[in-house]
Amino acid sequence: MSIVTVQLGQCGNQIGHEVFNAICSDVHGTHGLCSKKENESYHDACKERFFCEEESEVPIARAVLVDMEPKVISQTLSMAARSGYWKYDDRSHFCQKQGSGNNWANGYSVHGPRHKEVIMNLVQKEAEKCDRLGGFFTIMSMAGGTGSGLGAFVTQCLRDAFPTSFILNHVIWPYGTGEVIVQNYNSVLTLSHLYQSSDALLVHENDVIHKICAQLMNIKQISFRDVNQVIAHQLGSVFQPTYTAEGGLHYSRNPLGDLMETLVPHPEFKMLGLRNIPQMPENSLAYSTFSWPGLLKHLRQMLIANAKMEEGIDWQVQPPRLGSSLPSSHSTNRPLHFNTSIANLVILRGKDTHSVDLGSFRDPSLYTSWLNPQDAFNAWKTPRAFNKYEKSASLVSNSQFLLKPLDNVVGKAWNMFASKAYIHQYTKFGIEEEDFLDSFTALEQVISSYTIL
Amino acid sequence: MGQHKEVFYPLPPVLVLFSIVFFFSDNQIRFVKSTLWYHGYDRPELYRLPSDGSAGSRELLLAFSWLLHRLSLLEQLLARNRVQTGDEISVCTCEDDLPNSQKGITDIAPEYGLEDGVDVRYLQWLNGRLRFQWRSLHAQHQELCKLLHKIHLFTSGSHMDQILGHFSVTETDLVRQPENYKQLIQLLESETMQLEAFLEWKQLEPVYWQWMVMNQTDFGRTFLQKSTILFPPPLFFLFSLQVKTGGEELQKEGFSAAARKIQENVELKLLDLTYLCAPKKNKMHGSCRLVFRSKHSASKTAVSATEVIRELQMREASLERELKQLREECRQRLDEIAEGLDGVICISPLKR
Repeated sequence: MSIVTVQLGQCGNQIGHEVFNAICSDVHGTHGLCSKKENESYHDACKERFFCEEESEVPIARAVLVDMEPKVISQTLSMAARSGYWKYDDRSHFCQKQGSGNNWANGYSVHGPRHKEVIMNLVQKEAEKCDRLGGFFTIMSMAGGTGSGLGAFVTQCLRDAFPTSFILNHVIWPYGTGEVIVQNYNSVLTLSHLYQSSDALLVHENDVIHKICAQLMNIKQISFRDVNQVIAHQLGSVFQPTYTAEGGLHYSRNPLGDLMETLVPHPEFKMLGLRNIPQMPENSLAYSTFSWPGLLKHLRQMLIANAKMEEGIDWQVQPPRLGSSLPSSHSTNRPLHFNTSIANLVILRGKDTHSVDLGSFRDPSLYTSWLNPQDAFNAWKTPRAFNKYEKSASLVSNSQFLLKPLDNVVGKAWNMFASKAYIHQYTKFGIEEEDFLDSFTALEQVISSYTIL
Repeated sequence: MGQHKEVFYPLPPVLVLFSIVFFFSDNQIRFVKSTLWYHGYDRPELYRLPSDGSAGSRELLLAFSWLLHRLSLLEQLLARNRVQTGDEISVCTCEDDLPNSQKGITDIAPEYGLEDGVDVRYLQWLNGRLRFQWRSLHAQHQELCKLLHKIHLFTSGSHMDQILGHFSVTETDLVRQPENYKQLIQLLESETMQLEAFLEWKQLEPVYWQWMVMNQTDFGRTFLQKSTILFPPPLFFLFSLQVKTGGEELQKEGFSAAARKIQENVELKLLDLTYLCAPKKNKMHGSCRLVFRSKHSASKTAVSATEVIRELQMREASLERELKQLREECRQRLDEIAEGLDGVICISPLKR
């Protein structure tokens, strides 16, 4: 069953392209480390999910590309075609001549409605090509004008047109030392709107990925391409085929639905963080071996201590002792810096996944009081190795990972709003102060819900 | 730690039959009791039976006979096991006619109040999971329809039967793998045997009931059915509303606008009520064979998908009106409660 990817804005299109690249090169790689039969099943499942094989020679990505400028889209289209392994559908894109100047309101209130029909027609065409529509995966940055404003509008349109489909928004959290002065406004507006239409928000923070590039991948001059490739690797490790049930005979045909059901059934808790281990430069891979206990120990501590990568983990942070005299629902019972989880999904790929012990993730002290580990923890596996990593573990977590960043962004936006700075840029296009207040309220509710876990 | 709670799930009656036969576990006993309760079996002796299966064969016999009669159990089983060579789809445009005994359930539930209390967030979690599972099911169903359509389209004109016009999935499969005909024939033979057995039973059935009446003293009492009377809704209320808004001619602008709104609402309500009170027209219900037809070929006996869709859309609109009204009532109640509390504001979720 198939996922339709909607690439929004410059960021969305560049990342989307890297994602399809990573997926394709993984499928064609020879380092599957599994039987031929297994490899073929994996290949077929991946094809059905992301590509459409029509009369053309190469598989065509199931994607719609949207941007207000033509430059990035045409680059993306040509780079894909040059790879020789896959390409985009030549007609499945929409762009205009000029950008939206990082203005959220312009994207949301002007460009969105104006081009809604054309964009939704493209989406409808892609959806109809799927025998089974597995849902939508949108990629956008939160801070810019096109991706964020138009992206929020398009997500709403997707929800209206496909009320029962799964919608997963992949959101890029901007660098803290921002690129755009109104990025916090844009972020607040984007998040609050997405929260209404989307099923889940999967977040990647630019700062974090940048550190991974610097410290783990040893890249000296970090370009956006490097950042995007790390992001693409992490996303690929989540969305490539897996067996979602213990002893399952077939690769799951419902990746988005399965993900949603295990992680975001509660409408107030939709923020998902992603961690992947190990991450290293490709040329070091051949010289490294890993053990599952070691990888999982690190991954678990990354979860508990809210570490962004496998280096610099604070090993002092431990889960609170259960059975203390305070009632378990008391949040102050928990030690500071401890990251409380609502639900976690661990995805294991590669050698010996069948014998891995995941007991440490089923510890009830990791989770909020109102959910027990049977409900809160799930694991997906496949013996097929991913992207040349002999063993690879990913964690998709609905936890307090994003509480602090969210609180930061809302705080900064509020301070700006208090002095009404730059508001005229928004009111000029129909986003009133009251809309800002509604957005702040909505996000404060989310912050509060995550804080009292 | 918590007490054993009885939870009642509505279940198809066929499963009850199987459960009655294999009476091993405490879970299965509760299962059977709950299904019988759902279908309205209110003989208390059955529910007082112990959970270890040590006693109760007579009560089971009574319950079984009751099911046999009340639910046409055997006919339902036969219908379920029918061999299908065509593509079947189930249609239902019936109202949600809950059996009368369902009312009992909602009264009972508060009695079983959970002592420990459940965090409402957990319930929301479970509800969310259920909704996602439903949506996955929906996507699967849409895929099924899409693929059926492809098969019907590609095999158009191939069928010997001109009226059908195209192959079903079973027929297409037989064309591709002819050796499967053996299995199909086996199934058809088994079905024939079941039907023959049923006919035999029908001959002997009066003997069974006579034996039950003569030997089971409680039998008559159990079968005394309380008649169910549908109370007509208070039409007088609506008539009075109509009288107020209909005949009056008001010159004042603001008032006539309000009057028009009231009249619209009344008309909508009347529509809902006439729908409810109307003599039960033949609601489309049951399994039908799915056949792909061009627009112009009409048939007297066939039910067209567009008709069913139209009916269901009307039903959906009426349910949405009801939902909107209930939400509004709930919102008002919350506002009232919030007003009574100091320093509490009720913020409703973001409306698009």
